[in-house]
Amino acid sequence: MENPILIDDRHAWIQSDEISEYRMNRLDEFALEEAVLIKEAFSGTIVDAVSVGPDRSTEVIRRSIGMGANAGIHIATGSEGYHSSFEIAAWIAEYARGKTYDLILTGAMSEDNMQGQVGSMIAERLALPCATAVIFEKIAADKNTIYVEREIKGGSRDTLELPLPAVLTIQSGINTPRYPSLSNLLRANKLELAKIPITDLAQTASREDLVQMVYPQKVRAGTVLNGTEEEKAKQLIRILRERALIP
Amino acid sequence: MQNSIIVIADHIDGQVSPVTYELIAFAQKLQTSESPAIKVLILGAEILNSAREIAAESGLEVVGFEIPPMAHYNGELYRNVLTEHLLAAPPAFVCIAHTSPGLDYAPSLAMALNGACIGGIEDIVPAEDGICFARPLYGGKVMAHIRPISATTVLTIQPGIFKPCQHTAETSGRVAVRPISIKPRWWHSLGVKDGATDTAGIAQADVIVAAGQGFGDRENLDLAHQLASIFAKSAVAGSRIVCDRRWLEYGCQVGVTGATVSPRLYVACGISGAIQHVSGMRGSEFIIAINKDPAAAIFQVADICIVADLMTFIPTLIEAYQNIRDSGMGSKLFSPIPQPGST
Repeated sequence: MENPILIDDRHAWIQSDEISEYRMNRLDEFALEEAVLIKEAFSGTIVDAVSVGPDRSTEVIRRSIGMGANAGIHIATGSEGYHSSFEIAAWIAEYARGKTYDLILTGAMSEDNMQGQVGSMIAERLALPCATAVIFEKIAADKNTIYVEREIKGGSRDTLELPLPAVLTIQSGINTPRYPSLSNLLRANKLELAKIPITDLAQTASREDLVQMVYPQKVRAGTVLNGTEEEKAKQLIRILRERALIP
Repeated sequence: MQNSIIVIADHIDGQVSPVTYELIAFAQKLQTSESPAIKVLILGAEILNSAREIAAESGLEVVGFEIPPMAHYNGELYRNVLTEHLLAAPPAFVCIAHTSPGLDYAPSLAMALNGACIGGIEDIVPAEDGICFARPLYGGKVMAHIRPISATTVLTIQPGIFKPCQHTAETSGRVAVRPISIKPRWWHSLGVKDGATDTAGIAQADVIVAAGQGFGDRENLDLAHQLASIFAKSAVAGSRIVCDRRWLEYGCQVGVTGATVSPRLYVACGISGAIQHVSGMRGSEFIIAINKDPAAAIFQVADICIVADLMTFIPTLIEAYQNIRDSGMGSKLFSPIPQPGST
């Protein structure tokens, strides 16, 4: 998020090739870590890492394997551009349908699209129970239910129990995501990822269009301080004094 | 097609949340001359008083669904009760608050209604063929105008943006409360655990120095404390990411999942300004933003914008302050403020 985000000349999308470095969505790191923790706690657990996106998404999938996922699946959109949460959820659900996943974990939202909808929509498509903004989870000893704590306003937690299989969207801070291990990364580089072009999946008509992209308007008429750092510091102290915020 | 609009009331602990009236204001902006009257729905264990309050304030018809077992929010019950009611006559728009419960049930409800779901709306944009909704992307650095192309669209509206109508309606709207007997199949509520975090420290401060990811490392946060120490009644707060990294306690978090503050001065240091943070601090009287990225979204809400590296600027600022204080020369040192530039 430190990169500037530039809109293309047609106002249709961002200039994605101007972004120097792509990385895994921060909230997805927590979801992946939680999956790996479950794998470590319950022997025999297998973790598949799935990502929807253009070809560069494979790097994120390999990083997931580096963190401890067993295998990777790339749902390939083929090109850059906007996809609604609905389309992404429909593709993932289409892939997961009929497979026997006990848990599907997603980040609580993405840093770029900021909708926080994909997890709930996957659950709807697959008719599974879902809990969002999960900050703690514990699978029951009989593996039939899962206890979760959802983060709600002001740090309070909503506690509930769901039957498995279920979908959870994972809130940041639930754990401390690990760095990929060298041995896992080596394995990830050798491993062939399953690639599924979206054209192979059942087509679902989008329910929204991105009409245009614009830069946001300023809410306050902010004054930009200019000059060297010393000059900016002196201007700022003067402003603070005028407002009686410092003596 | 009838452009019918439904508002789902947001309420907590028997109180109607202020955002409910913002949703009504939003729905009124969305209304066209052909639209039938806006209808407000409210769900909960005891909702009669809240339903009456909304009807009296807004003059709109309020339909309440009294669900005795739902002492706390239950996402599955919200989804199921609303779906059953709305499928009978699908509305064009369902307006929901972009808050913790709204974010939870809106996508499921949209799917159940075979509709679109557009989240975190900050503006309504008229377009040639139909209406668009503006919502932030990439941490608020850009906005997308999204046009729904489905018969029903579920919208979640960012709180604090649409100003509620200041006048109480002349005549109260009709109130109908229906008892609903329904049990969740999946979602077994086990109650709400109160937040262990204490946000009193930042809620009561006159001056908040807020630290973001821009500090780079936990050790560097000492600079934020040093900066805070030049102000009276000050506190150090942080963005979510800073708390997730354990640089600060969660009790120091400002934003949607933390505290909402409105101090005399808010100094946002190295904070990108994503809406989740901004919604917790935009009510501050005066906002100074320091960030090395000139495109940071935080500059959109700041009164004073300083593009600088925290690691060098904060020490320079503190030193300049100390020099002036020690010399006792006061503001005579300074030449008049240059004309403000703008971006």
